Amino acid sequence: MTILEVKDLHKSFGEVHAVQGISFTVKKGEIFTIIGPNGAGKTTTLEMIEGLVPPDQGEIIVDELNWKDHAEQIKMKIGVQPQSSAMFDLLSPEENLNLFASFYDKSRSTEEILEMVSLTEHRNKHVKKLSGGQRQRLAIGLAMISDPEIIFLDEPTTGLDPQARRNIWDIVLKLKELGKTTILTTHYMEEAEQLSDRVCVVDQGKVVTLDSPAALIDKLTEEREIRLSFLDGEEAAMEGEQFASNLNTVTKTERDGAAVKLWTIKPEDTLYDLFGFTKEKAYQVEQVSIHEMSLEDVFIAYTGKEWRD
Amino acid sequence: MNQFKQMFLAQLKITLREKQAWFWGIFFPVILMVIFMVIFSGSSEEDFKAEVAIVNENPNATSEMMLSQLEAIPVLEMEEESVSREEAEELVKEQEISAAIVLPESEEATDILLIVNKEDEQGTTTQAVSGILNNFVQQTNLYAAGATPVYSLDFESISAGSDDLDYQDFLLTGMIALAIAQGGLFGMVDLVEMRRKGLLKRLRMTPAKMGIFGFSDMVMRVIFSVVQILLLSLIGVFVFGANLHINFLSLTIIFLIGALSFNALGYFFSSFSKTTEAYMGMANIVSFVMMFLSGVFFPIEQMPDWLQPISQVLPLTYFVEGLRDSMVYATGIVSGPLWIGVGVLVAWGAVSYLLGSWLYKTKSIVSTR
Repeated sequence: MTILEVKDLHKSFGEVHAVQGISFTVKKGEIFTIIGPNGAGKTTTLEMIEGLVPPDQGEIIVDELNWKDHAEQIKMKIGVQPQSSAMFDLLSPEENLNLFASFYDKSRSTEEILEMVSLTEHRNKHVKKLSGGQRQRLAIGLAMISDPEIIFLDEPTTGLDPQARRNIWDIVLKLKELGKTTILTTHYMEEAEQLSDRVCVVDQGKVVTLDSPAALIDKLTEEREIRLSFLDGEEAAMEGEQFASNLNTVTKTERDGAAVKLWTIKPEDTLYDLFGFTKEKAYQVEQVSIHEMSLEDVFIAYTGKEWRD
Repeated sequence: MNQFKQMFLAQLKITLREKQAWFWGIFFPVILMVIFMVIFSGSSEEDFKAEVAIVNENPNATSEMMLSQLEAIPVLEMEEESVSREEAEELVKEQEISAAIVLPESEEATDILLIVNKEDEQGTTTQAVSGILNNFVQQTNLYAAGATPVYSLDFESISAGSDDLDYQDFLLTGMIALAIAQGGLFGMVDLVEMRRKGLLKRLRMTPAKMGIFGFSDMVMRVIFSVVQILLLSLIGVFVFGANLHINFLSLTIIFLIGALSFNALGYFFSSFSKTTEAYMGMANIVSFVMMFLSGVFFPIEQMPDWLQPISQVLPLTYFVEGLRDSMVYATGIVSGPLWIGVGVLVAWGAVSYLLGSWLYKTKSIVSTR
């Protein structure tokens, strides 16, 4: 079931064309992640969906409602954690939650939210005294207070240490268990790969590709990279490279001293043949590894390696 | 209703936890008032007295007659013994006494000499003594000519209220007006801060009613100002002996209009200030100018003529006058000046509010990150 539909969004700020035709649909209960380099238009896209910025062109349908006619109802259905975790610094987490709860027709109990984001201990501390991770958890708590159908988390883990980041992953997965839909943006590919049902790669205001993390990696390339280095030195490595390049499973080889890199479409067969060769020649292999593709490779492949701002 | 309650509670807590609010809203006006009261009202408790020395080196009939008459003037406090002219001059130089009066040296002599210190030449006491003496000489002249004075001047001070306006009352009402005005001018810094931190944007992502938010903020500020009025009044009345004759209806009207108007002015500043520093700078300049040109510490009439037209357009001038009328003179609501004041304040408030709203909308700095 589709809960969010975005069709052909466009937005320009003066000369800057931030978003140039973004479309996607999000299914109920999924974790949908938008990744892309800085300035790709992620935040602008989110802000248009959240109703903060009106799109120049295009359509946004949230649970069969649109912003023009049903702004109030949509606001009741969504929860937002913006990039700047803005809240009242002189109030405690509990007071912030109570205040935000009063904005909505229905809300979860403050108690329950504090529990979910593990802030029960710090409920009476002023927000300005909380750590970065605690603040971020409270920001997510504020997004959940109204028990929304769709939760937007804009870079929830940026700047957090690994423990705090995993805390937040747990919260996101808990939300999925509750059947909520989460729309996430992040700079951490590992995070996108672990959490997302589907990933949407955005660059220069356009959707570059969209699929599940595994499918994106598979699609990226059929080849796998194998690295091995020879203990017997450069001579042996040259022979090894020679042998490998004659195999029909291998598409490309590269050598740097005693280390050989080769790309193969059938890693198992290639390795079998290679080890046959080294055994016959009585060469010793020092290291061998198969480099698995990750979402990061997908990201770099689609958005390029060059510096940009 | 719950939304209003929660918003009001939140704003109340934030204000009470904000050290700045305590300092500028409570501590600063109290200290300022106490300092001014102590400096300027020290002598006004007692009646006017001038210490003078009489030089009567050659006592004669005329000088004796004048001496006895001078002694009868209550505001002149004579030195016990008469002194020589040199001694008298020394005393005046040392400012031990305000003036020395040299009586005629012989029966036929007709001139009285008044010796004053150059530094005090323009001082009130000197002016008063010379006035008194001048008057005294004229009386004496008339008497010598054998004429009976036909006209005499009686002096009676009146005011709209039942009592005279003492400096304490003047300063107290001025300080109250200043405290409320500054509360509005500086208070909207929260809004700049909320926008800078993205909190306004955050609230716009929720169904929160910003109208209720603004309203609860106003209610909180009004309550805070009432506390300021009470505190300053209590100190003014019980510590410095100010006399208040309050008309509560006109006080309520001028207070509410004034508080709203200065808050609107603060709102206007906040609409074009991107940082709290920019806002505070703006508010400081405006409040500083108004503090001295609006008759808070001293009457506008004492200022140079060319400066007075500026005072006549400043909103604080009218707020101070309105508060003074309603708190010291118990002026009722059927009063022309009161409504002129209300009109000027409403005009300032409305223009500021409309300009501010317009800037918020068109420049849409609400959504700046």
